[in-house]
Order: sequence, then structure tokens, then C-alpha cells
Amino acid sequence: MGQRGFENTSRKGSMVGQSQSRINDAELIRGAQRGDRAAFEELVRQYDQAVLRLALHLTGSEQDARDVYQDAFLKAYRNLGSFRFECSFYTWIYRIVTNLCLDHLRKRQVRKEDAPVVVDSDGEEYSIIDQVADDRSGASPERDLMRRELGARIARALTKLTPRERMVFEMKHYQGLKLRTIGEALNTTEETAKNTLFRATQKLRAALADVR
Amino acid sequence: MNCEWVLQNITLYVYDELPDDARHEVEQHLNRCPDCTAELQSMREFKEVASSLPQLEVTPNLLASVRMDLQEALEGVEQTSGWRRMFFDPFAWLRQAQFSPALAAVLLIAGFGGGIGAMYTMGPKVVNNTDRPIPTDTTHASIASIKNIKQDANGQVQIQYDRTMPDRAEGSLNDQDIQDLLLVAARDNVNSGVRMDSIDLLKNKQDDGRIRETLIFALRYDTNPGVRLKALEGLGSQVKSDIRVRNAVLEALLNDNNPAVRSGALHALEAVKSDTSVRAALQQLAKDDPNQYIRSESQRVVATLPRFD
Repeated sequence: MGQRGFENTSRKGSMVGQSQSRINDAELIRGAQRGDRAAFEELVRQYDQAVLRLALHLTGSEQDARDVYQDAFLKAYRNLGSFRFECSFYTWIYRIVTNLCLDHLRKRQVRKEDAPVVVDSDGEEYSIIDQVADDRSGASPERDLMRRELGARIARALTKLTPRERMVFEMKHYQGLKLRTIGEALNTTEETAKNTLFRATQKLRAALADVR
Repeated sequence: MNCEWVLQNITLYVYDELPDDARHEVEQHLNRCPDCTAELQSMREFKEVASSLPQLEVTPNLLASVRMDLQEALEGVEQTSGWRRMFFDPFAWLRQAQFSPALAAVLLIAGFGGGIGAMYTMGPKVVNNTDRPIPTDTTHASIASIKNIKQDANGQVQIQYDRTMPDRAEGSLNDQDIQDLLLVAARDNVNSGVRMDSIDLLKNKQDDGRIRETLIFALRYDTNPGVRLKALEGLGSQVKSDIRVRNAVLEALLNDNNPAVRSGALHALEAVKSDTSVRAALQQLAKDDPNQYIRSESQRVVATLPRFD
């Protein structure tokens, strides 16, 4: 896997474009604050795919992801009045979603009777306890089994992380967000997010050291 | 450049989180150091393994389905009540102010004397009364907004609107009421002089969270550069301790169209020049900013930055 080359876009250019979309957001937000539901829905459409992807990957369950999505945007709608443009809407929304995801992870930690589940690419859920090879998969049962076992190993390793570590790793590795954004979403500093990432990757590398 | 430093930063390196100069140093070191290169390889393998976790994808069906559910759920959510709507955008009142003869009116009197939020309704609701004389004191200034226009089967028009009454408050800068009024004045007044005066007073109280938010808002969004400069004056001391202030000032440095605001932002950020984003921005500006003063000032500050060892 090659190292991604550093994008050579002019920093100023991209920030000007960004501030333009911020102004458009501001109009939509003000409209939504005045009770304009269409404005709110337009705002939602700009962010909801990313939110859903995060929720889906973090929870591993379509139903849980739907709940997180719903809770996040309802919370946003109810609290839009207290948004005073002190940060970008993007950050604000991510803060809400992150908190909901953290709650979800903490609840899951408590429910010890739930074995971690993994979903394979066919959309089938299975528990890591289930080691029986499934002959439904087709081409190469051995490879499918290996893939599943690997998936189970990774899933199990992820549950060893604290909710915050899991959140930071999820947002950095799977969602590609910058540590600065992650810090803001968790209402902490970039420095803290960095240290959390270090701890998370160390734990995961230790748990997966014998893989491959 | 030693192995310890490189190893500490290998994680940031593989996740593209190192600033350009640090990334360059790491790559230079890796060219000569097999141990660190092995560590890099191990880290990359880990990334690959982690990425092989099978994941659910967002299908168009799923997206459409959650959006529909959300729409339904929004129907049931309590709408913000009328007075709150007015508070958040009193500017809307002035934009919508129109004079129309009203056959029905709901009178709402806003009294700021009791602090923002002290609202009360007064007066009877009059419906369909064509004999009621048009109120003589109904002028452009006192009609706040037209809320509703209906026509019934007989052709009768019913209009609901809000009115305001002028009022006055006096007190010291520490009074809650005065602060509340200043906050409203800072955000939404058409008159830039009023906004400037309020920011001028508020900037001395930037330790208060709400006031600081308003100063940040003014720096980001006020259309008048004098107001933005005033807000910056109040925020300068907070760039070290408050990340939101730092971000807002950094944005002002990069995006504001007024050179005085930009140079004020640059000087405010000197105190945190070692912050990675600030550093990166200054280096970029030192290279190619079109404004000569900004360019040379950025170069001056960059020159005082500690080098990576």
C-alpha cells in the first residue's frame, strides 16, 4: 500500500472555497433557526452521508446506525437555536454524532453478554464465537474462512480499545478525518487526539501482532 | 534527526498528519536508516490489516430510508416557540417590515427592561372586525413582522403581525441586562455604528463565554472591517488558551479581505506561532501572499520559529 502523495492544492485557494460554503451554510442555518424546515433538510443533506457512514462502521449494525443518525439530526434540530456560529456547522454536527457514538460504545461495553459481531461483505452478520465454515460463500471456502477469521480478530482487537480510543481510531483510520477535526469533535485538543491515536494504534498492533 | 524522534512520529507520518518540513525530515532519515524503515513497513502492514475489516456500505436505499424516517420524526419535534425565533434573528423583523392595514392583530410587546426573554402578550385578539379603525401609531418602524395572511370564503383578509415598542435600559457593563442587549446589538443591528459601539464595550469582557462567542462571530461574519478589527482587539489575548479563538483568528489572517484585519490577526497569532496550523499558514504566506506587508511580516515571524532538530 503506497504512501499517499501530499496534495499540492494552494491552502488559501481551498480555504476561500471553504469560506464560501460557510456563508451558504450560514444562510441555511439562519433559515432553519427561524423554523424553515426545508432549510434544515438541505443542511442535513450536506452532511448526512458522512454521518451515516461513520455510524454504520462504528456500530456494525444497520439498526444501530439508523438510531444514531436519527438521534443526531433530531438533536441538531432541537438545539439549532443554541448554535452561535462559534465553530463551523461541520464541527458542531460531528461533535453531536461523536458523543452519540461514544454513548453507544459505552453501552455496548457494559452489555457483556453481547459477543462482538462482524458483518462480511455479503452483509451477513455472524458472531466470532461461530467458527463453523459457511459453505454459502462460493468460490474459495478456505479463503472466505480466513477472511472471516481475520475480520473477527480485528473486530475483537477494536473492542479492546476504550470508547475514546476506538472513536479516534475510527475517525482517523476509517473515515480519514484530520486529527484537528477529531480533537474538535471530541471537544479536546489536537494534541490529546494525537496521544489517543498513539495509544489506540499501539494496542491494536499488539493485539494483531501475529496476523499475517 | 534521531531514531527516537522518527519512531515517535511514524504513526503521524503514515496518517499524513505531519507538517511538510517534518515529513521531509522523516523521509530523509528513512533513506539512511534500515531500522526505522522496518518499523515503517510494520506500521504500513498494520494499516493494511486494519483496513481489511469488512464493513457495511451506505446504500442509496438505506440513505433514502433514513432520510424519510427523519422527515417523519421532525414533524413530531416541538417547533421553537415564537419569541425564541424572534430572538435569534431580530434582523428579520426589519427586513420584513411592511405596512398593511390590519383587520386582525396579535399584539406582542417586547420589553428589554426585564432582560432578553421577558416577553408578554397583551391586548385582545380581534378577528374579522371591519369596523375597527386602523391604529394611528402603526408606522414602518413599529411593525416588526407579518406573521400570517389569510383570506376566508367571504373575501375577508386576516393578517397577524407583531409590533414592537421602543424602550431604554441603563446600567453598568457588569449588569446582565446591559450585556444581553450589547450581545444582540453586536450581531444583528443594521447600523454598523451600533455594532461597533457594542463590540467596543464587549471586548473588555472576553472572559465571559457568551461574549467571546459573539466576538468570534463578529470577527468571522461582520461585514464592516472596523467592527471586525474591534472584535480582534478583544480576542487577541485568548489565542493561546482558546482553540476556537485561534481558529477564527487564523481564518481571518487567511481569508479576510481587509489588510488591517489580516495584519492584526498575524500579530495576535505570533503568541502561538509554534502551533502546527499557524506555522503552516505563516510559511505559506511568507512564500506567496500578494500583500507585501503580510508577506514580509510572515517571513519575520517564520524566521524566529525553532528549527526541527
